[in-house]
Amino acid sequence: MKRYAVLWLLLLAFVLPGVAQDWIRTGTGVGGEKIRIAVPEFKVSADDGQAAALDKTFNDVLFSDLSAAGIFDVVSRSFYPLGAIGGPTDVRLDTWAAPPPKAAMIAFGNVASTSGNLQVQGWLFDVKNAQGPQILAKQYRETATDDNARLIAHRFADEIIFRLGGGIAGIAESKLYFISNRSGNKEIWGMDYDGAGQHQITHLRSISLSPRVSPDGTRIAFSSYFKGGPNIMMWSLDLNRLVKFPEFGGTNLSPAWSSDGSRIAFSSSRSGDPEIYVSDQNGNNLKRLTVYHGPDVSPAWNPKTNGQIAWISGRTGLPQLYVMDSDGTNSQRITDQGYAVSPAWSPNGQLLAFAWIRHYGPGSPGNSDIYVLDVASHQWIQLTHDGGRNDFPSWSPDGRHIVYQSTRSGTEQIWSMLADGSQQTQLTFTGSNSQPNWSWK
Amino acid sequence: MTVSPASSDSLALEDKVNRSWLKWTLLVLALTAALAVGGCKKKAAPPAPPAAPPPPQPKATLSVNPESIQRGQSATLTWSTQDATSISIDGIGTVQASGSQSVSPTASTNYHLTAQGPGGSADATARLTVTEPPPPPKAAAPPEPSEEELFAANMKDIYFDYDKYDLRPGDQAAVDTDAAFLKAHPSIKFTIEGHCDERGSTDYNLALGDNRANAARDALVRAGVSASQIKVISYGKEKPFCTESNESCWQQNRRDHFVYGR
Amino acid sequence: MAPDTDIYGHKDRLGLSLACSALLHAALLGSILLLPAVKGGSDWGNNGEGGSPGDAINARLVSGIPLPSNPQANPENVLASESKGLSQSLPQPETKPDESAIAIPDRNAKLKPPKAKTPAKPTPAREQPREMAKVDNTIPFGSGGPVATATYTNFQSGNTAGGLKFGENGSGTFGNRFGWYTEVVARKVHDAWLSEVNPSVSSAKRVYILFDISRSGAPSNIRVEQSSGIPSLDISATRALQRIDTFGPLPPGYSGSYVSVEFWFDYRR
Repeated sequence: MKRYAVLWLLLLAFVLPGVAQDWIRTGTGVGGEKIRIAVPEFKVSADDGQAAALDKTFNDVLFSDLSAAGIFDVVSRSFYPLGAIGGPTDVRLDTWAAPPPKAAMIAFGNVASTSGNLQVQGWLFDVKNAQGPQILAKQYRETATDDNARLIAHRFADEIIFRLGGGIAGIAESKLYFISNRSGNKEIWGMDYDGAGQHQITHLRSISLSPRVSPDGTRIAFSSYFKGGPNIMMWSLDLNRLVKFPEFGGTNLSPAWSSDGSRIAFSSSRSGDPEIYVSDQNGNNLKRLTVYHGPDVSPAWNPKTNGQIAWISGRTGLPQLYVMDSDGTNSQRITDQGYAVSPAWSPNGQLLAFAWIRHYGPGSPGNSDIYVLDVASHQWIQLTHDGGRNDFPSWSPDGRHIVYQSTRSGTEQIWSMLADGSQQTQLTFTGSNSQPNWSWK
Repeated sequence: MTVSPASSDSLALEDKVNRSWLKWTLLVLALTAALAVGGCKKKAAPPAPPAAPPPPQPKATLSVNPESIQRGQSATLTWSTQDATSISIDGIGTVQASGSQSVSPTASTNYHLTAQGPGGSADATARLTVTEPPPPPKAAAPPEPSEEELFAANMKDIYFDYDKYDLRPGDQAAVDTDAAFLKAHPSIKFTIEGHCDERGSTDYNLALGDNRANAARDALVRAGVSASQIKVISYGKEKPFCTESNESCWQQNRRDHFVYGR
Repeated sequence: MAPDTDIYGHKDRLGLSLACSALLHAALLGSILLLPAVKGGSDWGNNGEGGSPGDAINARLVSGIPLPSNPQANPENVLASESKGLSQSLPQPETKPDESAIAIPDRNAKLKPPKAKTPAKPTPAREQPREMAKVDNTIPFGSGGPVATATYTNFQSGNTAGGLKFGENGSGTFGNRFGWYTEVVARKVHDAWLSEVNPSVSSAKRVYILFDISRSGAPSNIRVEQSSGIPSLDISATRALQRIDTFGPLPPGYSGSYVSVEFWFDYRR
């Protein structure tokens, strides 16, 4: 009889979590019913010789932006009816609504390149609404370069995502900042959210770690051995150089911005033991938040309220996840076992992503994976399973994507995925790349 | 007995046989003579060979480099010969036609090379002078080892268990030795570097390394070392001592490393 | 060599080996029976939490990535459903209700709102929506029935069904003109509501909620129009809407400063 009881329990284990874990869909907006959208190639309507290449870049980038958005089921181009589409008169909605495309939405338009100027016209139509299908009609004009073709595609994709995704801005123009040792030293690098345009930002020829961009996108706070330390340093993206930030003594690391950009939390061992401190954005008005002996690192603000800070503490032995109020009171422990590090708060303030070795054992502790935890209910879900060490999750501004570092390809690289763990994509390939941080918009 | 024609035949036959034997002998003799003549003729036929030119006189050279050495040093003897079949050097023995050899005699030596060949013989000599080495300089006392060398020789790094920053009981002896040395050299200023193994997260390891370095610092201060001598820095897992992924390398990296200077 | 005649008389010493064999067989059998009970109990049955990490066939993998809900949820999207569609539907035969029979009110039908609630709207127009509610209950979406007048945007996920109706001064053309926007709202409300429900509730009468969407897309004026009878369900429905910051700006083609929405949910576990 006991054997059957176990089997029934197993059956329930399949059924119950399916309903209980809808919180991940709500919190992230991913995993619900996806919109079937068709994206035929934009026709070239005027060509001064450059149009073909620009058109290709535009089409590729638009298609990948919409595929990566997390809310669309982009219909494969092999299902599209034949015939180039350049404008509304070319579209026959019934052919798009019928199988095989069975599309609910269609984005189409044309690309024109005339005397060095690139102009793109784009429409978004509701396939099922024959009387009034138009949702969007947009026109973009920039100088004709490949980067601008890419930029216009990002902009148009973001417009579509904003409209059909329920008012949450798309991330196609957002940026990622990370650490790479490609130049021989660990420096801060930047790239587009899809891995394009990777470029070096700092040239300090020292060891730099944990970059965090400010909410207004003008500065990057990070930790570096450039002046001994390591110290919290501030890089200005506008001025392209370091700007002043106080040196506190001891080991200073893992800076984190509040979502209004007014305060920075970080870990400092100026007192002889690493504790969490908060200062204003210039490093003044220092205030200490934690008191227990043991390593306290990696603070993360609740970006919705700025009223809570999550952080990692080794006060009981292995590092565990804790949450406290931003004044240091009401600290509570969240994880009960294993080795937990690198908390990252979702933009809506409901979820915490972090890296966890749940079953830490003697000898080799095993791989760490990215987990997402619902802060209110303390329910969690595991997002990565494929082996390798996965660490440093960072949320996208739309709350639907997570970027992280992983060794699953053999070397340490930056990967990105939807917040339910699907569509895992490698973004970097050369050198050793780590500690990614997603911009705020 | 009637004389039958047979007997006359047999007589004739005998005769024939006798005659054929004679024929054969004559033939053989003739052949032999012909052969002898021919052979002799062959020997005699080729014209007399021209008189062989007289064999060339062998040549020999011998040199030594350098020509003067101090006792205990060595020099190289180099020789070359031509048209010689037997070459020898006094004191060395039979040698190749050309070559060189390192020699290290204790006294000045005349090296004499003899080259013999069909055309005659040749000689060559080389003199190697051996001088007394200058008297060795008075052995200076070995230099006083520097503070840095003393430090490196005496200070023992402290090792840690995984994810721990408290000193193991066995490390107390190391702390005591280190403290004793540091108290004896109060002018030495040094840095404690905290390190971690490659597993685990970058940021957490930086903090853990800091705790490790401070644990050693606190232990030394408790043992009487002046805090002003000590600087502390954590490198987390950023500067490992080895990069293999096995326990022995990991243990190597989980340490406080003492470095002279600040 | 003399044959060994003793082989037949020689008795095999079976006793010891037989005993050992029996013992090992018993141990094996016992371990097979007992092991799942000892080991299995700790691994299974961890609701939503446990399971060994990194196991590619862990049950939680399946449940963790929610399967897409039924794509045929939208009745307005007649062409996307598997039904035969308009061309083959026959008009419903009219059945005259028996005069003497007292109609048993449908369990989930919306009751007549109290007179005080109704603004100065023509009563027939008010009646209309309620009948539509009944109609939507009985006709499965997508097959038959005129498309344009179905003002409810219906959806279904597992055992949960729901619908939204967009009022535009009662005429209900908003849904026709801006079907895409109604789908956006439906999706967001659906996702938000599902997470709020108290897991101990197994089923409830339908709850009707009213709210407005402002020009900027923010929900406001959230109120329960008809309770489900379970206060926690009502509260969770209200809270779900409060969680939503925005649905996105109202379509530019819509001239009103706000649109009112009525939504209902059938919750069944």
